Amino acid sequence: MAITEERPEILELESGDTSPSTGAFARPTNASGWRAWVFTVDHKKIGIMYGVVAMFWFLWGGVEALLIRAQLFTPDGTVLTAEQYNQIFTMHGTTMVFLVIMPLAAAFANYIVPLQIGARDVAFPRMNALGLWIFVFAGIFLNLSWFLGGGPDGGWFAYAPNTGVTYSPGAGMDFYALGLQIAGIASLVGAINLIVTVLNMRAPGMTLLRMPVFTWMIFVVQLLLLFALPVITVALILLSFDRTFDANFFNVAMGADPLLWQHLFWIFGHPEVYILILPSFGIVSETLPVFSRKPLFGYSVIVISGAAIGFMGWGVWAHHMFVSGLGPVGVAAFSATTMFIAVPTGVKILNWIATMWGGNLKFTVPMMFSISLVSMFTIGGLSGVMHSVAPADTQQTDTYFIVAHFHYVLFGGALMGLFAGMYYWWPKAFGYKLNESLGKWHFWILLVGFNMTFGPMHIVGLQGMARRHSRYGPEDGFDFWNAVVTIGAFVILIGMIVFAVNIVRTWLGYKAGTVPQEPADPWDGRTIEWAIPCPTPEHNFDYVPVITDVDDFWHKKYQPDENGKLRKVADGNEIAQKGDQNPHLPSPSYWPIVLASALPLIALGLIYNLWISGIGLLLLLGAMYGWSLEPATDPDAGHGDHEEHGPDDVDPPGDEGSELAEEEAPVV
Amino acid sequence: MSARIHTSTEGESREMHKHQSVMRRLLRLVPLLFGTTLIASCATGRIDPTDPVGENAKQIDGIMRLSGYMATAVGIFVAVAVVIVIVKFRERPGDDPNELPKQIHGNRKAELTWTLIPVFMLVFLAIVTIPTVFDLSGKSDGRTIKVEGQQWWWQFSYDVDQDGTDDIVTANEIVIPVGEEVNLDIRSNDVIHSFWIPQLNGKKDAVPGRVHHWRISSPVPGIFYGECTEFCGLSHANMQMRAVVLTDEDYDEWVREQLTPATIPEAAAAKSGYDLFGRHCISCHVINGVYESAADGNANLTSGYAPNLTHLMTRTSFAGAIFELYEEDGSVNIADLKEWIRNAPGQKPARPENRQGMISFAETLSDNELDDLVTYLMTLGGPPPLMPS
Repeated sequence: MAITEERPEILELESGDTSPSTGAFARPTNASGWRAWVFTVDHKKIGIMYGVVAMFWFLWGGVEALLIRAQLFTPDGTVLTAEQYNQIFTMHGTTMVFLVIMPLAAAFANYIVPLQIGARDVAFPRMNALGLWIFVFAGIFLNLSWFLGGGPDGGWFAYAPNTGVTYSPGAGMDFYALGLQIAGIASLVGAINLIVTVLNMRAPGMTLLRMPVFTWMIFVVQLLLLFALPVITVALILLSFDRTFDANFFNVAMGADPLLWQHLFWIFGHPEVYILILPSFGIVSETLPVFSRKPLFGYSVIVISGAAIGFMGWGVWAHHMFVSGLGPVGVAAFSATTMFIAVPTGVKILNWIATMWGGNLKFTVPMMFSISLVSMFTIGGLSGVMHSVAPADTQQTDTYFIVAHFHYVLFGGALMGLFAGMYYWWPKAFGYKLNESLGKWHFWILLVGFNMTFGPMHIVGLQGMARRHSRYGPEDGFDFWNAVVTIGAFVILIGMIVFAVNIVRTWLGYKAGTVPQEPADPWDGRTIEWAIPCPTPEHNFDYVPVITDVDDFWHKKYQPDENGKLRKVADGNEIAQKGDQNPHLPSPSYWPIVLASALPLIALGLIYNLWISGIGLLLLLGAMYGWSLEPATDPDAGHGDHEEHGPDDVDPPGDEGSELAEEEAPVV
Repeated sequence: MSARIHTSTEGESREMHKHQSVMRRLLRLVPLLFGTTLIASCATGRIDPTDPVGENAKQIDGIMRLSGYMATAVGIFVAVAVVIVIVKFRERPGDDPNELPKQIHGNRKAELTWTLIPVFMLVFLAIVTIPTVFDLSGKSDGRTIKVEGQQWWWQFSYDVDQDGTDDIVTANEIVIPVGEEVNLDIRSNDVIHSFWIPQLNGKKDAVPGRVHHWRISSPVPGIFYGECTEFCGLSHANMQMRAVVLTDEDYDEWVREQLTPATIPEAAAAKSGYDLFGRHCISCHVINGVYESAADGNANLTSGYAPNLTHLMTRTSFAGAIFELYEEDGSVNIADLKEWIRNAPGQKPARPENRQGMISFAETLSDNELDDLVTYLMTLGGPPPLMPS
């Protein structure tokens, strides 16, 4: 990057000089090709990239799961060595939590939240790109360990002191500690960005209690991330210092108490569970009303119970530690709090059923995935209540009963919801629907495979099969169900292959013209992302709609007649915006990816040689410098008319509404 | 009367019969399905929390069943509701697309009801749970046994005369008298482990730097199986244990034998094995009375401990209780024992180069030397008071 002559001129920007050529560095201008993706700051492209990268890791995490299942297919399996098994189950958990479900939720959050609140983009577009690239590099960095001496082998929960250099001498746990640290920065950047976006950039009239439930749940999740991530950051720093600089935070010989790690990890780890599940709760709260053709039953109760789960989620972490030696008072207290977090969760389930009750249910693929979340998550929730009975948990913990429980929550709950979201918003993102009949095959095979895989784990768990054991004996009597489970895991694989076929076939069909282009509102949607064309135009909204209701778009389509009976008064596709405006948009930027690439270098240096960290640090500082001195816009964008309109205030045709509504906008 | 009924329903009954036979065929499948499921699921092995024996395990089992029944009831309720919704409220061909279902935005009363009912259920569950937590955490007036976990085996120490020093140190098999609530002081010498003999009680973690209290008891003599359930590194899957519950007389006899130190053998092969032991094994292993140089905390292992072998042959298993020490006919399992000494890391994953687990003697000891060593080990007490059935 050459430093141009005009450098001092940036100082004049504030004074009103809008010359687009000011600034130390030029901004990229590419609107097509790979550069259009790598340097983009568009929340939609970033959302899609989060999704693509997360699905890649889902594939890899799935391969890890299949390796685990292959090993446990028979007693005394010989597919993996104990060492490989320990590394693979560690990375299966770490991958699925940090590289799959969190970024998939981030994909939806990035893509959908600005559309649901009527915004042109998120509050800090370049930071949004930074979050994505940091996440991408975190995933690569974590998995580099496979090529540099073996993966982490301490479990995703990484209990000290087993993760110290004495007991885990390879570099694997360093990659774990530093990789999660990097991934944490990505989530933190994203969280702050989305919190500011939701608080400040809602369309006029959209009070907090008119906000779509998906946006609400994402908002709660970002708050959870904001407060939970610092805790694991601290824990990981302690671990890294122990490993890299011989500190004694978890050195028992020097008086450390290893339970410190467990408390820190689970104070993060339990809110993390809600970070993983609440986005899906948000998704089905959107899809169930749309496909039941009824409003969400108890909007405010669902929102408040979501917030309550987020809040109560901070008071239950020690239920992961019922056998760790907390003492009876602590165990009893956390046992009780854990029981009562079931209340707001149960309320949600029953409200969703009440939403469908009396409706006119359309069994589209997103609807089927949503109903499967309601029923499968319930099973996971109820086994969760069984664990909250602390004495019972002393028999259940660290057995496959727990594995069954959290897979019903995270697969049956979170993933099913995310699949519902993919099928539901696919036309909004790409302009066409995924094939419904392939989608149904995907759904049914997945549902059967899922229950075959995780259902029997309840049984072997109660029979006493312990988790994280690389083998079991023929004398243990676990063979039958383990064989069923392994077969089930491969059924899931078949379901996912159907999904992949669906994606590729419909994409090719769309390009060939056999898969139809969808209009703005293909599902008879309720929220304002359906009031703009499919696929979303680059600038999202031609004009920012004024919001007067929950489910605002739906109320534009259906209104009561003289008898008070609701009638369809408008076709969603006709009243939708045309997407034909061409407002000014933020320019792409080189710096997010450059800045992000510095972090794995710094981390690698901490493991191998501090000089590499030095190079990384220089790159980091250089990228920050470039970032700060980047001109506000690119010279060729052709929008030198800042005085006339800013990025967000194209007025709706023949309407002064935005001025008016701005006064009521920011309040709750 | 019955004849009349017969005749009057004959016409329908054929129709019914056809219907029934399909139903019956389907119904016949149900017990078949259940049967295979039950047989398969009841084929439980040695570790079996579903068959509690000890008082604590029974208490836990009762409260677990209660919570399980409650969860099942709620689960069935939700499942039925979902099925009704799917069947009753699905879109049918011919439904007027412009006709909206009744738009209900909520119902405070209904929502309050399904908030409060779970609250009451959970309050009930909490009332049952909390006293049980305290019940299970107390100490009994029985004897106390020290339990120490280390990679990847368990050590049990008994202070018989209560003078503050351990008089019996054994490995992998905790021996207790029948009917007594034995107190355990659970510790760890390296990473976190978890002590679990499910038929006697739930789990308790062994955390380095801490002493955790727990109790076990059994009303009947027998051998009960357990394993480490907190991930403790490479060979976590191979860290099992057994509880051997003896009648009072057997227990006293066992204690007497354990308190007797070993002596130097006289037979030539055993003497040779004894000498080999002195050359190769005593930097880690202790045999009371003859080789006591491997002090606790020896530098060859990160945990500082290797199993005390004084009365090896009174145990039923070795190497983290993953190998049987005796064949079913009561003879010593010489083959596995010899293979273990020859190449332990090949038999059970370990990292001897990182001082985790026993080293290999494949390069050090000849076949004859291994035979002598096994012959010597076989002189160390035995047979066990109770054999696995």
